[in-house]
Formats: sequence, C-alpha cells, structure tokens
Amino acid sequence: MSTDVSPPADLAAETAATAPEARARRRIQMQEAALPVVVVLLLVAGTIADREQFLTSDNMLTVLTQASVTGVVAMGMTFVIATGGIDLSVGSVLAAAAIAGGLVGEQQSLPFILGAIGFGVLLGLINGVAIAYGRIVPFIATLAMFAGARGLALWMSDKTPISLLDLDVVRDLGRGKVAGIPNAAIVFVLVTTGAWVLLNRTRYGRHVIAVGGNREAARMAGIRLRPIITSVYALSGLCVGIAAVLLSGRLGSASPVAGNLLELDAIAAVVIGGTSLAGGRATIVGTFLGVITFGLLFNLLNLLDMPTELQQLSKGVIILAAAALQRRDG
Amino acid sequence: MFNRRQQRLIGLVAVVALGMAACESGDDDSDEASDSGSASAPAEGGGSVEEGETIKIAFSAPGADHGWLAAITENAEEEAAQHDDVEFVLLEGTNDSAAQVSQVEQLMAEDPDALIILPHEGDPLTPVALEAMEQGIPVINVDREFSSEGAYRTWIGGDNYGIGVSAANYLAEQLDCQGNVVEIQGLAGISVTEQRTAGFADTIEQLCGDGITIVAQQPADFLPDVGLEVMETILQAQPQIDAVYTHDDDMAMGVVSAIENAGREDEMILTGAGGSRDAMERIQEGGLYAATFLYNPSMSASAVRVARLIALGEGFEELAEPEVPSRIELPASTVTQENVDDFIDLGF
Repeated sequence: MSTDVSPPADLAAETAATAPEARARRRIQMQEAALPVVVVLLLVAGTIADREQFLTSDNMLTVLTQASVTGVVAMGMTFVIATGGIDLSVGSVLAAAAIAGGLVGEQQSLPFILGAIGFGVLLGLINGVAIAYGRIVPFIATLAMFAGARGLALWMSDKTPISLLDLDVVRDLGRGKVAGIPNAAIVFVLVTTGAWVLLNRTRYGRHVIAVGGNREAARMAGIRLRPIITSVYALSGLCVGIAAVLLSGRLGSASPVAGNLLELDAIAAVVIGGTSLAGGRATIVGTFLGVITFGLLFNLLNLLDMPTELQQLSKGVIILAAAALQRRDG
Repeated sequence: MFNRRQQRLIGLVAVVALGMAACESGDDDSDEASDSGSASAPAEGGGSVEEGETIKIAFSAPGADHGWLAAITENAEEEAAQHDDVEFVLLEGTNDSAAQVSQVEQLMAEDPDALIILPHEGDPLTPVALEAMEQGIPVINVDREFSSEGAYRTWIGGDNYGIGVSAANYLAEQLDCQGNVVEIQGLAGISVTEQRTAGFADTIEQLCGDGITIVAQQPADFLPDVGLEVMETILQAQPQIDAVYTHDDDMAMGVVSAIENAGREDEMILTGAGGSRDAMERIQEGGLYAATFLYNPSMSASAVRVARLIALGEGFEELAEPEVPSRIELPASTVTQENVDDFIDLGF
C-alpha cells in the first residue's frame, strides 16, 4: 500500500488477501447487494400503501431517530459478533447505564453523559474480562450480566424512573435538531461512520476479524487475543452507554425497565446485515441497513395501524429470509 | 451529601473496581449478580413459629420489576409492619407461573393463618390455591383472578373493564363526543389489556356512536420506551389527534415525551391508568396529562387487613355481617386536576 494511486474502496483493506478471505468478502458483497433491495422494496411498498405520510423527509427522519438507539447498540454488537462472540446483556446494561448516569448527574448534563457512558464501559469490561481471562463462554457471561445488570438498574433506582427534565444538553441530544436533522440521527450516523473506519481502516479492525476468523492463526500472527476480545465487549458497553444517553434524552427520564429485548433487535439487525455469527466476517454497512430495515418495517406497519402480531411475524420472516440468503451465497 | 441511591452506586463501583483489580480470573460477573440479588432481597420473616396471638400471613406476588408491582409488595410489607400481631412471610417475586406455584407450596408448608396471592397468571395458580383452601388456609386473591371461585376466600382487586369505562366517560365529556382518539394499550394478549380495551370501546360506542373515532390502537407493553416509539410513529400518521387513552401511567410518560418532542402538546389531552405519583403530579400541573384512573396498589395493604380479619374470624366494623365479603372490587376512580389533591397520597 505504498503507492499513491488510490485503490477502489472495496479493495482498500486487502493488503494480503488470502483466497478464503477474498471469498468471504465476495459473500458479504452479495449480502450487501441483497439488503438494499429489501430496503427499496419496503420503501416502494410503503409508498404504495400510504402515499401521503410514508415517504416524506419528516417520516424518514423519524425512522432514523427511532433506529438510533438500536442502531448505535448494533454497531458495538457487530464487533462482538465479528470475534465469534455475542452480547446478550445490552438491554439490561442500557438501563443500568442510564440509571447510573441519572444518579451522578441528576442536575447536570455532563456528569450524566460521562456517568452513563462510563458505567456502560465498566459493565462491558466486566463481560470482556470474564470471557477473555475467565474463559467463560460469551453466551453465559453476558447472560449473567443480562440478569445482573437489570437487577442493578432496579436496585440502584429503587424501581422508579429518574426524571431528567432539567438536563438541557441531554434532552437536546435526544430530541433537538440541527438544520432540521434530529440530533439522535446525527449521532447514529457518526457512530456508524466511526465504526466503519475502525473496522475497515485500522489495524485494530483487522485484528478483530482475524481473531474471529481463525483464533490459532491470529495467535501465530502475533495478535494478542485476550486484549482484543476484552476490548470488543468494552466497545459494546461504550455504544450501549451512548445509546442510553440518546434514549434518556428522548424519554426525559432514565428508566430501569428500558431496553427490554433490545439485545434481540440488535443481534437480528447485525445478522441480517451479513455479519457471520461464527465470527470472522463483519460489515458495518450491512448492520446499518439491517437496522434501517427493521426501522422501516416498524414504522410502516405502525403507520398503517397493523396489529403487533403482524409486525412480529414479518420480523421473523425477514430474519429467516436473510439467513437463507446467507446460506445460498456461502 | 449523597442520597441513598447514589451511595449504592458509589459502593458498587468501588467493589467492582477492587474485584477487577484483585483477580483477573474474571468471575466478577457472577459475584456481582449474586451481590445485587442478596442485597435487594427483603428480610425474611423470623421463621420461628410463635404460639399465641400472632397471626402468620404469607404473601406471594410476581417479580416487583414494574412501578405498580413494586408498590404492591411494598404496601403489603408496610401494612403488615403496622400490626403488632401480624407475622409477615414473603418470598421474592417471580415472573414464572411454575416457580410461583412452588413458592406457594413452600409458603403453605409454613402453615400460615392466611395466604395472600397475586398470581402472575390466574389459571396456572388456581390448583395450588384450591389445595391451600382444602388444607384450611384461607386464600386472599389479589388483582388477577383465579379461574375457580373455590380457590379463594376473598378476592380483592381493581376494575380493569371499569378503567376503560371511566376513561370513555371522561373523554366523551371532554371532547363533546367529537374527535380522534389514539389508544396505547398495555401488553398484548393478557386479560388486563383486553378488559381495558373492551371497556373503553364499548362505552365510547354507546355514548358517542360514530362521533369519536379510535384512529390508532397499538400495544406498548406497559413500557415507557416502547410507548415513546409507538407514539412517535402514530404522530407521523395522524395529522389530528384530540385525545390519547393509555393503559398505564408509567408507559404514558414515554407517550407524553413523544407528544412534547413533536411540539403537539396543545393539540390533545392524554389519560393514564393506575395512579402513579408522577402522573398525579403532572395532572396537578395541568395541560396535556388530564386524568388517570385508579387501579391502586393500595389493594395489597387492604388484602393484609382482610387476611388479618379472616384469620381472627372477624368482619368489617362498618358492615352488619360478622364476616369479610367474598369479593371486593375497588372503583376505577377518575382523578383529574380538580380532585387530585385527595388522591395524591395514594400515588405510588
């Protein structure tokens, strides 16, 4: 990569692509081509079904805002899944982070933001240490955190929400706008961009993929496994902390019951995006589209006042279809 | 300088930091889970069975993970503590019917003088309640009903259908039977939600015919963050909303945020249900949050009093009959800005 001729974007990360890696990358490209089709289909269906409200910039920005919480969490989840891990604790950690933020910063925004993000990272680190150094499988370690963090959130808050109506900056992050674009949507796009750069343009990103792809080979190549594995859970905790700030800002309060089932939405978005649950391949663009797909679906069925059972059913069908697509390509 | 909740956070962070520094073995995780578990578990009743005048009342309810259920457990404990002759036995709640059945069996083994049960679901808990009744332990059924009347000595609860009726009466009057109403429901597929929906739909139709249209109807699982998201989309879809009928005060807070974020709080009024303190404070202020309908967790305190009277073989002083009635249904009183001061102390 010492030439000054800029390579095509999709080849940039390929310094020493081996054959299987190239194949994996092609597979991701197929996936990335398939999901935009789904998004376009949803947009077309939505426009036909509800000509007046669906395809307005206002409504599309609402979709982006609504997707922001799940979206930011899904970005962290992509790194975890890229290493072949899983983080089941994100919903509970989100609630605990929001409550922790509320306790240190009931009156001021900055302590709230630092408190929420810091606590998210702390709980993420605990997950990471338990998995990387304690050799507990990710499913179990984060399942323990799933239960533990929810308990913490309820206990720390005395089971009552903490009102954040006086926190102007936090409120503004959640519901304010810059030039007509909701701040939450801007944060989501920024986090997505940051995650893309981190995964595709840094050595760290390549190491994450390498650890997920072939752990033995990665070790031989001199990659220190434990710090990498610990770090992806801390990164997930960081994203959850940011999401906790966004959600609390939109709600005007920190709720100990927030984030229920968030882990399922985040994992589903990552997986339909094309990131392999087995690890070793990951796509940020895919995760972004996965989040948007569910966001559009929720928005559309809700606009049409469809019963929720139909929403859940369609979600199931989409997950299954995406998984099937993944198999055929592979 | 720190309040109780802040002290917990500080203590916790300190413990975790020490734990992580001390060992890299990484089982902090499970430590922590058990830490919080034991710390939040309430003190259990003494266990030694005293003879004489002491009345032993056992209590079983679902997990206190929601404002209303937390208040149910708290109110029962506080009420019991006020009676010197009551020994109160409580197990930490669970949201699994099978686990609650074993819990009730465990409580029965302690041979209480009365057993208060708020079942997670009525049907699966009915057989074990019947068994307790057969053993001669009077069962006081709170809120969600057993499927057999033989399974309880007394049922005490709120009126879910009545919440719908009260809300319909209130909104019909406020809107002069004209306008668009959005309904944000609780958890889909449980009887509480169905009854609150049915009471509202039946009464609105009876009072206003086609004058009031329910333009959108979506469940938000009793959760504020879900309420926020659902309402955001409905606000996109509906250019004119005159009122929002929600099934729960906690959830309504998310709905309120969505409406305020959209700057449409002057366009509509909103009603809650349950009677939380936050909701009543909003009602006091006036504006968007216009009313709530009581479904008060004070019912568990009443259940403790009822259990005590049943154990003593006494009735209510105000009633001519010497026994406690077999069914007590609490009214879904309408709380508005005018009468909120009378109710705010009941708020949870």
